[in-house]
Amino acid sequence: MVLEFHQHIIAELLEEPNGGLVILSSGLSLPKLLSALLLLHSPSQGTLLLLSSSPSLKSHLLHHLPQPPSEITADLPASHRHSLYSSGLVFFITSRILIVDLLNNKIPTSNLAGIVILNTHALSDSSTETFICRIVKSLNRNAYIRAFSDKPTAMVSGFAKTERIMKSLFVRKLHLWPRFQVNVSDELERDPPLVVDIRVPMTKYMVGIQKAILEVMDACLKEMRKTNKVDVEDLTVENGLFKSFDEIVRRQLDPIWHTLGKKTKQLVSDLKTLRKLLDYLVRYDAVSYLKYLDTLRVSESFRSVWIFAESSYKIFDYAKKRVYRIVRSDGVKLDGPSKSVTGKKRKLKGKGGKEDEDSGTSSVSTISGVLLEEVLERHPSGRCYVLIVIILLQEVLEEIEEDRQKPASSGEEHLLDNGESDNSIVLVACKDERSCMQLQDCIMNGSQKVMREEWEKYLLRKVELRAVQTYHKKKKPKEPKGYGIRDGVAPVTPAQNAEASSVCKQEHDALLAAASKIRNRGTSDVIASDGPETLVSSRGHGKGRRKGRSKKDMANVHSGNNESNNKAATSDKPEIFGSENVGETDEIHSGAVGGYSEGIVEGADVDKGAMPEHTVEINATRFKDFKRLPPLYFYALESDQPILDILKPSVVVVYHPDMSFVREIEVYKAENPSIKLKVYFLFYEESTEGQKFEASIRRENGAFESLIRQKSLMMIPVDQDGHCLGLNSSAEAHATSSQNAVTRKAGGRKDVEKEMQVIVDMREFMSSLPNVLHLKGMRIIPVVLEVGDYILSPLICIERKSIHDLFSSFTSGRLYHQVETMVRYYRIPVLLIEFSPDKSFSFQSASDIGDDVTPHSIISKLSLLALHFPRLRIIWSRSLHATAEIFASLKANQDEPDEAKAIRVGVPSEEGIVENDVRAENYNTSALEFLRRLPGVTDSNYRSIMDGCKSLAELALLPVEKLAELMGGQKAAQTLRDFLDAKYPTLL
Amino acid sequence: LQSQSNQNRNAILVSHRQKGNPLLKHIRNVRWVFADVVCDYLLGQNSCALYLSLRYHLLHPDYLYYRIRELQKNFKLRVVLCHVDVEDVVKPLLEVTKTAMLHDCTLLCAWSLEECGRYLETIKIYENKPADLIQGQMDTDYLSRVSAFSELTHALTTVRHVNKTDVVTLGSTFGSLSHIMDASMEDLARCPGIGERKVKRLHDTFHEPFKRVV
Repeated sequence: MVLEFHQHIIAELLEEPNGGLVILSSGLSLPKLLSALLLLHSPSQGTLLLLSSSPSLKSHLLHHLPQPPSEITADLPASHRHSLYSSGLVFFITSRILIVDLLNNKIPTSNLAGIVILNTHALSDSSTETFICRIVKSLNRNAYIRAFSDKPTAMVSGFAKTERIMKSLFVRKLHLWPRFQVNVSDELERDPPLVVDIRVPMTKYMVGIQKAILEVMDACLKEMRKTNKVDVEDLTVENGLFKSFDEIVRRQLDPIWHTLGKKTKQLVSDLKTLRKLLDYLVRYDAVSYLKYLDTLRVSESFRSVWIFAESSYKIFDYAKKRVYRIVRSDGVKLDGPSKSVTGKKRKLKGKGGKEDEDSGTSSVSTISGVLLEEVLERHPSGRCYVLIVIILLQEVLEEIEEDRQKPASSGEEHLLDNGESDNSIVLVACKDERSCMQLQDCIMNGSQKVMREEWEKYLLRKVELRAVQTYHKKKKPKEPKGYGIRDGVAPVTPAQNAEASSVCKQEHDALLAAASKIRNRGTSDVIASDGPETLVSSRGHGKGRRKGRSKKDMANVHSGNNESNNKAATSDKPEIFGSENVGETDEIHSGAVGGYSEGIVEGADVDKGAMPEHTVEINATRFKDFKRLPPLYFYALESDQPILDILKPSVVVVYHPDMSFVREIEVYKAENPSIKLKVYFLFYEESTEGQKFEASIRRENGAFESLIRQKSLMMIPVDQDGHCLGLNSSAEAHATSSQNAVTRKAGGRKDVEKEMQVIVDMREFMSSLPNVLHLKGMRIIPVVLEVGDYILSPLICIERKSIHDLFSSFTSGRLYHQVETMVRYYRIPVLLIEFSPDKSFSFQSASDIGDDVTPHSIISKLSLLALHFPRLRIIWSRSLHATAEIFASLKANQDEPDEAKAIRVGVPSEEGIVENDVRAENYNTSALEFLRRLPGVTDSNYRSIMDGCKSLAELALLPVEKLAELMGGQKAAQTLRDFLDAKYPTLL
Repeated sequence: LQSQSNQNRNAILVSHRQKGNPLLKHIRNVRWVFADVVCDYLLGQNSCALYLSLRYHLLHPDYLYYRIRELQKNFKLRVVLCHVDVEDVVKPLLEVTKTAMLHDCTLLCAWSLEECGRYLETIKIYENKPADLIQGQMDTDYLSRVSAFSELTHALTTVRHVNKTDVVTLGSTFGSLSHIMDASMEDLARCPGIGERKVKRLHDTFHEPFKRVV
């Protein structure tokens, strides 16, 4: 069923034979709109080409269309492509293939009905898409161009972006379809889904962390303002919550990036880090969060500004307190399990006797002098959300029960279509795959157990991270000698240096001790069948500290961990229940078997504290009604699938609020009025999560308002027949005037007739330079070039490198070989270094140039290149447009290049034997570069390594003998093997 | 006299014309002496450099041409060291590029006096250096100097958008590089801070075959 407002949009589009640009709110199902439009296409109109679609959009379209369009790829032979172009069907095509075929006159343009461009927001006025439109329009004026975008915020970035894009796409009509448009809102709000908004309070530490992060952010912003480099208006904390904030700042700073001091640059990256921290606060559980913070501290501590800010101390402190607590034991030696605390520890909050959220199971590890108390705050989501999800399941169950009793319900029609089991699917939408997995774990095993495992992993990791830290600082090459715990023997050490050592040190020791206990458990078979009760008590038992660590110890920790994991795996027999869902639906396991049932009982006990009124139900759900739970499906919003249409759920739990998904739900409901849809939103109360959601709606509305304003002021030049003249109507005027200037200089002699030609390598059509050259009035001849990217004349051959390419091809050695062949075959070989106009025009700022000549600086590499190829010319270009100008002036006194000759250059004379060239299409380039950076891998042996094994993953598993064979030497093989297996962080 | 010329072989010979150029302050890693040379900086037997500030070029657009003509055909490598010290570069740089191209000069651009100085130093120091460094081979003495950690970082950061924090995360989660390389998408996704796109990029790098089937 096509939505009414979709029909409106289509009707509006069809009215205008030249096409138009449609911008609609995100989430209003662009794929459905497109598929409805494509269904109207008939072969008699001519061929329709779909340009620049994203993989996810493609998969949506494939789902919605009965006969999905096929794809024209470069693999198809030219003759086959030709017949497809004239077939009158619909095809996906990449802009690169299309432009090359257009320039080579391989497309019967009179058979072309039109072009549909799917990601208009990603275009600029020099994109290849605009090149295509210009050529298509020049060959067939009647072909329509329809452009779409569902990212209105991206359409308003930059000056008059929409207008410029419309002109360069030769489109004159702009159709705006915001969510607040009357037709849209009427239809979506006619029969809205039942929405339940559940606000969960944050724990006091979470609030504390959030506040601290915002404070630090504010401090960073204030610093930033002091630099006077950025527009102050945009620098607000609210803006700072968005990803686009980085873009705003970078857009302003990039052109002057090389003039900025280190501190300003650091501030920019700090703000990004802080935004991430804020985001992860509500997404990650307490332990993972702490883990991430620790990693940050290790990797960033020396550079960051924010880590030294006053409030950032609080972030670390609270994050830690969410997980464990250090308590002084006043020198009293605690002994045996009798003293260890098991079970719930409750703190009463002032109001209404409501339990504080952060009280969980706490167990105390005793070390002489210091107590380490775990306060595992439940999965931030875990504690409350898991509960809620379970309650929801209960409700759904009850509803199904009701439906059974009253078989004449409204949903019956639907039940007939999809079967009962499908109707009862509960869809849980999370932001990313990670949250999905963790939530699933929690429901399977109980959040208690999941958190316990995370905590144990954390402790083990702590040991290693600590090692990294000392490794980095190299402050203490030798740790003081201490006692190691091995094989369960825990020597009791008196607190010799307890007074001397700082609290920090004691804390570390406590953590390490706890870690070693976990290791002990692994080796000494304690927990194999024991319940958590004994687990906790054994925890309190062992005492001691472990300081002297060696590689051996580390290995020991690892093996210990593995063993305990294995144990856990064997005692935990997952049981599959529920119906298997459509497609790749995850099966849901229940972990309440064997030794762990006890743990869950305990967990439920604690739950009682938080929400007493539900406890009975939960227990019931867990132990009696397992078989009757409706199937759960976890969906990561990032994966962007037409999930609602595939699963047809009747209950949706939105775990992380996301604007476009909310709209997708609305659309889904409007399309399926028969489904009784219930939507639950889970928000943290007073969190930035909610603010962000609301602000994203505000931002989109703002974007639409600005677009509406722009539309009213827009000037699109049109000729007599109503065809859009395009962007270059003004550019052409400019070109002729400058040519006039030239002719005036030359005394009125006219040389304008001569058309300049440039031979361009096919692969270069990824960039916009051919487009700009064409705009300048040059004829573009696309061919496959063996040597060089652009041939300007029989003498001049140009290899173009963007900055990113330049660095990577220096590293891989590709540039050296390219220059070598250019020098061999052309009189004037040229390296063109092209900077991006919105980035700074330089490699580095003066302060980044060190005191010494270092081999890995770009200066050294360029100097070396110049020394080895004194004939190589270098062009430094500020932008695409500057490049085009340079090309034009270089060609001025040169002959036109010879196409046939250019193609033959560098191609070996014997047919069939093509040189071993490293070409981007044929190789997994990032794997290749990775491989070449591994120690032991050299220029002479990497090819044989690639011949001998398929991928890096395979390489990782090869034994040293095999490596020696591939690498041509025992020594190199051993170097590589050692590097691969080196224990992190000791490594070598 | 013999010893003096020997000494000068290891030094940059600077034309008297360059007296007072603040650039000279930044040549620190190589010795330099004033001498009667036709170019601005004599960097080796066959290589020389002319210094040009873009600001100066705007005032005297013909200067570069005359200086290049003076050089005649005496050098194999003729560098025009262009100090980009104006905001609006496109037009003057186009002129300089064209002049350098037409008269067989290699144009090097630098944005600060430090950078100018560094180019001169580097060309002098690397006078007889083989090209290994840019042929994709690792410099062996560099290898021995860097720590294994930075080498791991060096390798892992070939994957786009993987940063140092991620390297620490990956390293401490998986223990060794071979475990990282063998990790499944799911395991990678469980690492905090590594989003879906990064997971995919990493996984593709390790698991996609080196050679694509064409």
